Amino acid sequence: MIELRGITFTYDDAATPVLDRVDLEVEEGELVLVAGRTGVGKSTLLGVVPGLVPRFTGGTLGGDVLVDGTSIVDLPPRERAHLVGYVGQDPVAGFVTDTVEEELAYGMEQLGLAPTTMRRRVEETLDLLGIADLRARDLRALSGGQQQRVAIGAVLAAHPRLLVLDEPTSALDPTAAEEVLASLTRLVHDVGLSVLLAEHRLERVVPFADRTCLLTGDGRVRVGDTADVLREAPVVPPIVDLGRRLGWEPLPLTVRDARRRVRGLGLPAAPDAPVRTATAAGLTGRGVTVAHGRRAVVREVDVDLPSGIVTALMGRNGAGKSSLIWALQGSRKRYAGRVTVDGVDPAALSADERVRRVGLVPQTAADLLYLETVREECAAADAGARAEAGSCAALLATMVPGIDPEQHPRDLSEGQRLALVLAIVLVAEPPVLLLDEPTRGLDYPAKEALAVTLRRLADTGHAVLVASHDVEFVARVADRVVVMAEGEVVSAGPVRDVLAESPSFAPQVAKITGAGWLTVDEVVAAAGSAGESS
Amino acid sequence: MSAVGTPVPIGRRSALVLGAASVAGLMMLVWPLLVQAEDGARVQPPFLFLVLLPVVLAVVVAELSEGGLDARALAVLGVLTAVNAVLRGMGAGVAGLELVFFLLILAGRVFGPGFGFVLGALSLFAGALLTAGVGPWLPYQMLVAAWVGLGAGLLPRRVLGRPVTGRWEIALLATYGVVAAYVYGLLLNLQGWPYLLGIGIPGVDGEGLMFVPGDPLHENLGRFLVYTLVTSTTSWDTGRAITTALAVVLLGPSVLVVLRRAARRARVVRA
Amino acid sequence: MSGRATVARLPRELHPLAWWGWAVGLAGAASTTSNPYLQLLLVAVACIVVLARRTDHPWARVFHLYLAVGALIVVLRVLFRLLVGGAYGTRVLVDLPEIPLPDAVLGIQLLGPVTQEALLGGLYDGLRLATIVICVGAANALANPKRLMASMPAALYEVGTALVVAVNVMPQLAQSVRRVRAAQRLRPSPGGRARRWTSIRRVLVPVLEDALDRSLALAAGMDTRGYGRSGEATRAQRLRTGALMLGGMVGIGVGVYGVLDLTAPRWLALPMLALGVALAVAGMVASGRRVGRTRYRPAPWRWPEVVVVGTGIAVLAAFLVLRGSEPLVLEPDLLAAPVVSVAALAAALLGLVALLAPPPPGTDGGAR
Repeated sequence: MIELRGITFTYDDAATPVLDRVDLEVEEGELVLVAGRTGVGKSTLLGVVPGLVPRFTGGTLGGDVLVDGTSIVDLPPRERAHLVGYVGQDPVAGFVTDTVEEELAYGMEQLGLAPTTMRRRVEETLDLLGIADLRARDLRALSGGQQQRVAIGAVLAAHPRLLVLDEPTSALDPTAAEEVLASLTRLVHDVGLSVLLAEHRLERVVPFADRTCLLTGDGRVRVGDTADVLREAPVVPPIVDLGRRLGWEPLPLTVRDARRRVRGLGLPAAPDAPVRTATAAGLTGRGVTVAHGRRAVVREVDVDLPSGIVTALMGRNGAGKSSLIWALQGSRKRYAGRVTVDGVDPAALSADERVRRVGLVPQTAADLLYLETVREECAAADAGARAEAGSCAALLATMVPGIDPEQHPRDLSEGQRLALVLAIVLVAEPPVLLLDEPTRGLDYPAKEALAVTLRRLADTGHAVLVASHDVEFVARVADRVVVMAEGEVVSAGPVRDVLAESPSFAPQVAKITGAGWLTVDEVVAAAGSAGESS
Repeated sequence: MSAVGTPVPIGRRSALVLGAASVAGLMMLVWPLLVQAEDGARVQPPFLFLVLLPVVLAVVVAELSEGGLDARALAVLGVLTAVNAVLRGMGAGVAGLELVFFLLILAGRVFGPGFGFVLGALSLFAGALLTAGVGPWLPYQMLVAAWVGLGAGLLPRRVLGRPVTGRWEIALLATYGVVAAYVYGLLLNLQGWPYLLGIGIPGVDGEGLMFVPGDPLHENLGRFLVYTLVTSTTSWDTGRAITTALAVVLLGPSVLVVLRRAARRARVVRA
Repeated sequence: MSGRATVARLPRELHPLAWWGWAVGLAGAASTTSNPYLQLLLVAVACIVVLARRTDHPWARVFHLYLAVGALIVVLRVLFRLLVGGAYGTRVLVDLPEIPLPDAVLGIQLLGPVTQEALLGGLYDGLRLATIVICVGAANALANPKRLMASMPAALYEVGTALVVAVNVMPQLAQSVRRVRAAQRLRPSPGGRARRWTSIRRVLVPVLEDALDRSLALAAGMDTRGYGRSGEATRAQRLRTGALMLGGMVGIGVGVYGVLDLTAPRWLALPMLALGVALAVAGMVASGRRVGRTRYRPAPWRWPEVVVVGTGIAVLAAFLVLRGSEPLVLEPDLLAAPVVSVAALAAALLGLVALLAPPPPGTDGGAR
């Protein structure tokens, strides 16, 4: 139905093409997954279909885009609106109006559809995506999953042939992600819509994909059956990783399939976790309560962040994680409770003194940056912390080597930018470090680099708290987990126990093998020894 | 569409409409200096202009966007309008602290005269919606602010064959900011002077600060200058000029970088 | 009344242009008279209608600010008259000492004798301006600005969209400012001179960057959803639009000159202005033709809208007629107490007919 033929694309300042003679065909009613590392051109490939590339990005495009055999490559994005629906990475940024109903109608208004048709299609779309009860709501007041579904509905109402989605579930917690994916499968199965989507949380979407298009990194793609393509992919979800390393054929893609295979392994009981011991008290909070107006968003939370330990903070969006983090740091006013770091309450200190006790990397880390080059940012951080010149740059180099100091901080990749902010925060040498959702937008290698950095910080005596709903990341990096719901702590303890108890926060490996196992490495090692002994 | 330098280009026809509208608008602003009356006749302030000016503004803005504002220009316009409106809301409580002009001038410089004009008009409109400032004075404010943005876009890019950049550019913009701040205050005062102070009767009044139709131009102008000196120049206008110039000097360089990055991305590349 | 006619009166938001038409009519009527009783009556009419028909939206709740501005205008106007009004009128009420300014300032003197004419003249003119301001405030309180933007003429569609974007972005900006300020406190501040400006810069730059990044995503969203898709106008159409608009502007310019120069031929004044406005409106309509968009659930225009606008026009027309028939009622003598006539009272109270408009949604119609 829609066909990319020999697509070659080069950015203006690049020497080599990011897409090189790419061929891809999407059939009617098919869901095709685009996979690959961050920066290999997933978004670029998706952008070619609605025409945003090259019109919004610059660069040179070769090849052809065909819909039912007709070339549309010369049409601007607006003239493709009735053929291709596109939802970008941040659906909120793409909203034009302010209520759900008007947003659904916006695209149809542009296409000049008759009012009666619009009215009918708005109702249909509301029902199709299960958002009828939200029709009059303010778009900004919706939850992330609802916003994503409205954004999908808003392009769907124009009845496009193909839906293009760029990372639709990356920013969502597991439950919201499932809502969105359930809506998508309904569209593919019931309505026969074609979907082309990119996602780096592959573990979420792989079970739904009919085929996968893997960007290999040299501008070429490999398209085929998902299991076949993932066999040699550089980035794979844990389930596929496990399957590959244990040599399972055919490669299992769903938890259900994998569980069947695991039974045959004869795994021993889960290993005891190597317990790291705390070296000092770090940060202690007692009865921490945060109120928003008259509403308690964090209610009497006791929390200990010992030095040398990485603690993960988990919970649904809106469970009070961010509020707790800011209150622990001392910037946000507490309603009640005590926090001590080295016997001092950070809230009682001046902002400049506070950052020497407790470092915080907020959810939108880029908010800390305001200068024009990486060099200036580092110099300002050194001067502010009265650290030796070059300390910040040195910290940055240990985390992410090879950043051009003359680059604009906004032009860095997500991982690089996070590292820069982390370096700026760490220059003040705080013994306690808090991170709010640092893995957002990071791919597997960048997450791995962050995990290494956090572990190293803990090993050098820092107390680290990281809020995340990236279960796999938490399983990899944390020693202890605190789970929050409705502003209260619902469970806390060693990572192995807590993650195993919770169905929505269990990592894939735990779902496959049962409680106790967290990472692929452990299972592979155990399976190896089990295989030898039998 | 080929490579376009400015997001809101002004064609020859738009320039003509803009010119004619500006002349009409200017006449409505400086009407006290133009009005000719016979002695003894009571002159009513031309309330009609309050309805007329919105029509003029609407036509110019429609004409400037007639070529079709491209989606990127429109999005940048919307966002900058919001920022400006918020800046205006912030300054509303403090006498003379007007930060609107600073961003308007920088944006006009980066995005060109057409964009500056529309941004100036829209910023004041959105700011009025935000601060409950919708009143008969609004169309006048919109028009003059639009001129300020337009003028910023028309400032020379090269002087004596050398491109105006870096420190010189900031100096140019700051100077323009001071001039614009005073002109803005002066024009709006001139328009509002007879409304607020009343209109004298030709041949009867002659000693007050009032506008007296039919008096020689220099006498009315003199009275007006004293009025504006007493009421605004020493407070509002000077405050506005100082804030604008300071903001351009201190924040200008980094904001220009931000805007230019956005302008680069907002350019139509190939079609 | 038939079913359809009563349905139109069920609670709903009236078309915003209807309220503006009504308010402009009232303001126009106010501009034709300096009779303080009539002015106060018009203000009362505006207040009654606002109280009865406003919504509880934020823009509707600030109506009292307009009343305050109106009062301020009256006070200022009277004070100015007293302070720098100069010798004017004959009936002296209080004889204040004159304070002459140095000769350099045109020999202007402050204070001096306070005459009844100066005092009342200031009061009447101030009231007139205040009434106009309050009428605009009433329109602002009654008409939903969001729907107003959505009802912009097609030729203003682009800037209307820019305004919608701006209004929607504002809360995000406020949020962004809060976020960035909190975040900036997480890094050691460099200190040094001009700390205040540095701190503004530390907030402004990330907020602007963020907002502009967003704007690009927004533009992409709009473009892929078909914004700006409507067909290009042909050369002939463009020529015609341009000629109409240019003609309109020139006409208005000449008309303005004609209005101001009382010695110029009269056909250059109002007739020219009318012609200019007509051409300009025709130009706008022609320019809007190119647009192939439709509107989802457009604000309906039914009989209550007609009544409300008609009320405004009727009030204005009545006052214009009264100007001819009862000039002394509309322009009272400054030496005698102003009088009113039954006809003038009725003309002002006519504005209350706008209460036939349906009540805003969320109320039970004020039936009790």
